[in-house]
Formats: sequence, structure tokens, C-alpha cells
Amino acid sequence: MANSGTTPPVISAPVVGLVGNPNSGKSSLFNLLTGLRQRIGNFPGVTVEKKSGVLRLEGLPDVEIIDFPGAYSCYPTSLDERLVVQELTNPEGDLFPDAILYVADITKLDKHLLLFTQLRDLDLPMILVLNMADLAKETGLIVDVERLSLQLGVPVIPVSARENEGIAELRSAVTDLLRNPKKYRPEEPFYEPGAQARDVLADLRQELPARNDYHALLLTHHASWLKHIPEETRHLVQKARVSRGFHSLRAQVEETMERYDTFEPIVKDSVRRTGVNASTSDRLDNLLTHRVFGPLIFVTIMLFLFQALFAWTGMPMDFIEWFFETLGSGVRDTLGAGWLTDLLVDGVIAGLGGVLVFVPQIAALFLFISILEEVGYMARAAYMFDSIMQRFGLNGRSVVALISGHACAIPAIMSTRTIANWKERLLTIMVTPLTSCSARIPVYIILISFAVPEGSFLGMGYQGLAFAGLYFLGILAAMLSALVFKLILKSKERSFLMLELPEYRTPVWRNVGLTVWQKVRTFIVEAGQIILLISIILWGLSTFGPSADMAAAEANASRISVEQSLSEDDAADLLASERLEASYAGHIGKFIEPVIRPLGYDWKIGIALFTSFAAREVFVGTMATIYSIGSADDELRIRDRMAEEINPRTGQPVYNPATAWSLLVFYVFAMMCMSTSAVTKRETGGWKWPIIQFTFMTALAYVSAMAVYQLMA
Amino acid sequence: MPFPRITAASHFDVGTAGTIDRFTNENLAGKLLDIGVRPGSRLRIIRKGPFGGSWYVKIDRHCMALRKQELACIMIK
Repeated sequence: MANSGTTPPVISAPVVGLVGNPNSGKSSLFNLLTGLRQRIGNFPGVTVEKKSGVLRLEGLPDVEIIDFPGAYSCYPTSLDERLVVQELTNPEGDLFPDAILYVADITKLDKHLLLFTQLRDLDLPMILVLNMADLAKETGLIVDVERLSLQLGVPVIPVSARENEGIAELRSAVTDLLRNPKKYRPEEPFYEPGAQARDVLADLRQELPARNDYHALLLTHHASWLKHIPEETRHLVQKARVSRGFHSLRAQVEETMERYDTFEPIVKDSVRRTGVNASTSDRLDNLLTHRVFGPLIFVTIMLFLFQALFAWTGMPMDFIEWFFETLGSGVRDTLGAGWLTDLLVDGVIAGLGGVLVFVPQIAALFLFISILEEVGYMARAAYMFDSIMQRFGLNGRSVVALISGHACAIPAIMSTRTIANWKERLLTIMVTPLTSCSARIPVYIILISFAVPEGSFLGMGYQGLAFAGLYFLGILAAMLSALVFKLILKSKERSFLMLELPEYRTPVWRNVGLTVWQKVRTFIVEAGQIILLISIILWGLSTFGPSADMAAAEANASRISVEQSLSEDDAADLLASERLEASYAGHIGKFIEPVIRPLGYDWKIGIALFTSFAAREVFVGTMATIYSIGSADDELRIRDRMAEEINPRTGQPVYNPATAWSLLVFYVFAMMCMSTSAVTKRETGGWKWPIIQFTFMTALAYVSAMAVYQLMA
Repeated sequence: MPFPRITAASHFDVGTAGTIDRFTNENLAGKLLDIGVRPGSRLRIIRKGPFGGSWYVKIDRHCMALRKQELACIMIK
């Protein structure tokens, strides 16, 4: 049945694919095998997040391990699953693995072997990894590994990624497999295509770039969307399917049933259950998914989560703040006054400090969310809120995105790939950026102090309540926007829940740690780059200006100084502010000012808004740059500098509650993150949706901020 | 309590269990089969979701959330 015998004895740059059902513990195994030698990139063409890593084996070149997304079968329903089929049916592709480590949950062999038998029939060298071996002992499961291996025709290695057991055996099995891949090829297929499929294959077998009959069959099923199938072949396939009356869905059901019939006896033969397991998971679910207590517990967990976020991160945040202040004054003392010092201290260090101070909160948020995910709670939340979500045009699975969106919209949007229904997925992508991501935290904290007085009510601080209110406002806006989109967009596609509720498990701390580390590192690197860039540009724009304007500003400043006989310090401040107004940044701010005046903003805030559209976390750094220029007093923090700002027209502070609230509301709603727009474009496959998303969010922000200002002023 | 005759799973109360006989919708059948729900599996209704709509069921030993419409196409004997 195999048509190629060209595999060299030792592969030069071996690629091993890690494949398995969702919840098989595949990623734990991946983390264990590769440690920190991981790269996160994109799958070519499809731009779905790709995790790959390096496995070092004795006597072999570095092995690339690709952690494929979880899939149930070769008949994909979600984008994640499509990717697996796409890559595994394309032997010419870069990601086509030389061998597969198929990961199955030892306690769910009766389900997890379906995809295994399908991939086996694609004629790929394979090892069956039985993960969660530790659970087998607990639940009284006895697996006759040798018998299973004999009947399935592949090496079977029980491991526990959680307990770090069986890894040495697995490594030596992989070594052996890569040395003699031929030895690991199947002798006979698990499934022979039925009568109908045989007819259509008779027509197409020669036309399709297939390694064997089953490969050809899968191409026949999926030719219409597989990227490596040329257009003319697609037509051929379509014609043959019609003329032979090939019914894809029926053929799939028939194949699946037959496969179950083949491997079920094998599982029964080699797996024995001793004793009944009244599992703790069931007892937990009696409470956690209870009709009344379930949602209440969910709300409590969320409240606790956000409370903890602010209560537990004070100390590291104070430390980081102190560090950057010390660094700033250190640099100023060392370098002395000058433009480079201003750029470094006011632009770069203040800007970086303003954002990095929130790393503890961001880390904590990712920590909590990945724990909820690891434990298995997210699936329960999806189950409980599915019907509510449906009313808003979303899916139960959208809950996961809406919760993770509070950390960062980017991974949240990527998590929607498990939603099979396109409309539900699109809606989730569109509204997720309305939830308050961690980049909004710095903006909120600075502005809330101007918007809300200190003090407390029933033991809860006003400012804390306002903070919670902003989060709630984000969620509310997300749900209501989804409802509006639901009414506008029409779709006949069926929607599914069909959600697995995996057993509760204590989290694997290695996985949690790795996730937090990767996310925080990405945040620091990306925020760092953009802040550095924008600080420099902004500094340039606010220091230089059209020469005629700058000269006029200087002349004007010195004239007023003489007229009003100002002190030396005041004269310097006046000069600086006149210069800022005449600079390029000032021109930009002035240009925007008429548009934002109804919102209660002046041209300086205009500059901050302008830069924030790159990434909202830039706000604090921009404020630092704008308000520090010319100020002789370097000891003040950004907040204090803002508090000193006086509106020249009214003589009142610029940051009064009305303006602060208006700004807050603007930052809750506005789409101010280029990275999110880029991800939306990637995930929706074009510019249409990111543009709509940007427009509706920004329009919402503008109108609401105006309403707030006009009502309060 | 066994189901009296072949009926859709969505008609049954919490706590009832039966064996899956067949599916009445091919589209759903493909997906259900993929996640391990198949004729011969034992289905038990554990509880209904807090806001209706989605039900918590056990298929053989595995927990799963299915919507009422999804259960409506699973025939139980």
C-alpha cells in the first residue's frame, strides 16, 4: 500500500509531530520534552499559532517537535482541527512530520484511538504515548501495554507528563524510531474504504497526490478547502464525487463506525477496570456546576481574582516604581542636563517604568487564567453560560475568550479557534477587545485618582469600586455589541456546544509557569519596543517644529516674560510651553483639538490620544514626555505633574472629574491596539472585520465619552 | 430507570440513563461520533444547565455538555 520507500535511514533534520485529542495532556508532554527550548510562531499560510521546540537525543541531530492543535478526527469542525488535517495530508509541506507521537489519555482510550487509527492509515511512523499513567493507577485501570502494542502494531509507551514518568523510555523509543523509521510502518490498514468510496477512488486515485488509498480518500473528502490541492484537481474531485454519488457525510459516519468496531475489541482486550470510581470530579461538579450555586461560585471566583490582582501585587509594583525612579535620577545625575538626558529620562525610562510597573498584575492575571484553564474550570464556565451566550449570538466557549480578554485580547482572540460556528466566532472576536485588558490598567489607575475622590463606602474604597465599574462597563459593552452584531448578521450555519468536560486536575505548575513566563516576556518585549520607538518619535515631534513658528513662540515668550516681569523659572516654563505648542506635536494636537473639545480634552491630551492608537499603554509615557518638558522639578511623578496642569482659558485644573471620566470611558471602549487589529485581520482573513471593529469601537468611545463629559461638566 | 422505548434523549429527566440507539441527524452524527458518542454508548442525564439550554450528561464514563437540540437527535433505547 505504501508507494514510497525513499526515506533515508537517518533523517537529516527530523520533524516529529505531537498529535492527539484535546485534553490528552499533549501540551504538558511538549513542555516536558522541550523545556524552555520552545518557539512560538505561525503555521505557514494559516497563521495559527504554532508551538515548536527542540528535542535533543543522543546520536541524532536536533529534533524539531511540533505541538499540533488538539483534534478529534480527520474530519475537522474547527479551524484548529483543519490545520492538523491540512498539514498531515501534505507530504510536501515543511511541517509534514517524519514521525508522530500520538498522545492519548490512558483513561479515555475508547475515544482517543479514533484519530490514532486514521493517522496510522496515512502510513506515518508512529509511537502511541499513553499519557496520564498516574491516573490509571488511581482509578484502578490496568493496561496490558504489550498486548496493546502487538494488536495496534506500534510501540506503546505509558508516561505521566504530570509526574515526569516514562520520559526516558519515550526518548529512547523516539531515537529508535528516527533511526529505523521503516520498522514502524503499518503492515495493514485499520480501515478499508467501503463500496461507494472505492468507486470514487477508482476514478481519482491516479489524479491525486496521495501516498495510499486512505490518503486519497481524505483528499477526496477535503479537496475543496485543502490549500495544497490545485484548483484543477479540485474540479476533478468534485466531478468524480457527483458522478459516483459520493456522499461525504455518510461516508464519514460509516468510516467512523467501522473504526470504532475495529479498535473497540482491542481496547476491551487490553484494558481492564478494577472497581468503580466514584470520582472526586463528579462530586466537585455537583457543586461547581449546580444550577444555583454554580453561577454564584463563578462570580465569586471572578471577584476574588480581581481583588487578589490588586491586593497581592502592591509590593513588587512599589519596587519596580522605585527602581525606575532611582534609575531615572541616576541617569540624570550622571549625564547632566541636556536633550539626550531628557529623551532618556522623560521619554524612555519614564515610559518604560509606566508600563513595566504593571508586569506583576499582568503576570498575576495570566497566572489565574492559566490555572483556571489547567484545572478544567473554563469548560464548566462554558457549559453554564452557553445559553446566555447564545442569546447574545455567542457560544459557551466565548466565555473563555471574554475572561482571557481581561489579560490580553490577543491570546483571547486566538482562543476562539475552538468555536466551530463562524458567526459565533466572529462575534466573539469583534467584542473581546472591549473587555478591559491589562494594558488599560495603567491608564485607569492614573485617571481614576482624578475622577473619584479617596474615601470609602461600606469598607470598599470609592476608587476600587470605580475600577470594578470600568471592568463591568467593558463586559456590558461587549455583550450589548454582540447582540447588535447578532441582529445585523445573518447566518444559517448550525451552532454546536458538544463540549467535553474533562476531569478536574491539580494544575501542572510547569505548564502554568511556562505560560506566564512566555506571555510576560512577550508583553515586555513588545511594549518595550513600541514605547522606545514612540518615546523617541514623540520627543522629536515635541522638541522640533516649523522654524518660523518656533521663532515666533520664543519671541512671544520673551516678550510676555519682560512685560509681566516673570521670575527666571517661570520664564523658562513659559518658554517651554510656548515651544511645545509651536512644535510638530503641538500642531498635531491642535489639529485634533476641535474634534476632541466636546469630550473635554485639550490639545495636549490630543497628543496622548494620537499616540495611544498605536497601543494604549503608551498613554502614561506620552503624558510623562509632554508634561515633563520644561518643568524644572524632576522629582514629581507623572500623576502630580498632571494634577498641576491648569487650563489657561478657565484657570481650573485640566484633569477635573468630568474630563477624567470622559477619558476613562474613552479608554474602556476605544480600539487602541495595533496588535489586536493585526490579530483580528489574521483570524478573520482580511481587512474588512478589523476595520469594522476599529470603527465601531472608536465611534462608541467618542460618543460615550462626549455624553459623559457633557453630562458632568 | 430504563427508557421505556426508543425516544429522543431530550425528552428525559435528570437521572435517567439509556443506551444510544442511533442519531437522527447526519451532520450532528459526524461530530458526535468524533467526540466518542456512538450507538451502544450509555448516556445518563446528570443535570440541566443553570440557564436551561445546555445539559450535563455522562456518555459511558465521560462528562460532556450538550445542548437540548443536540440531545434531540440522539435516540435512546
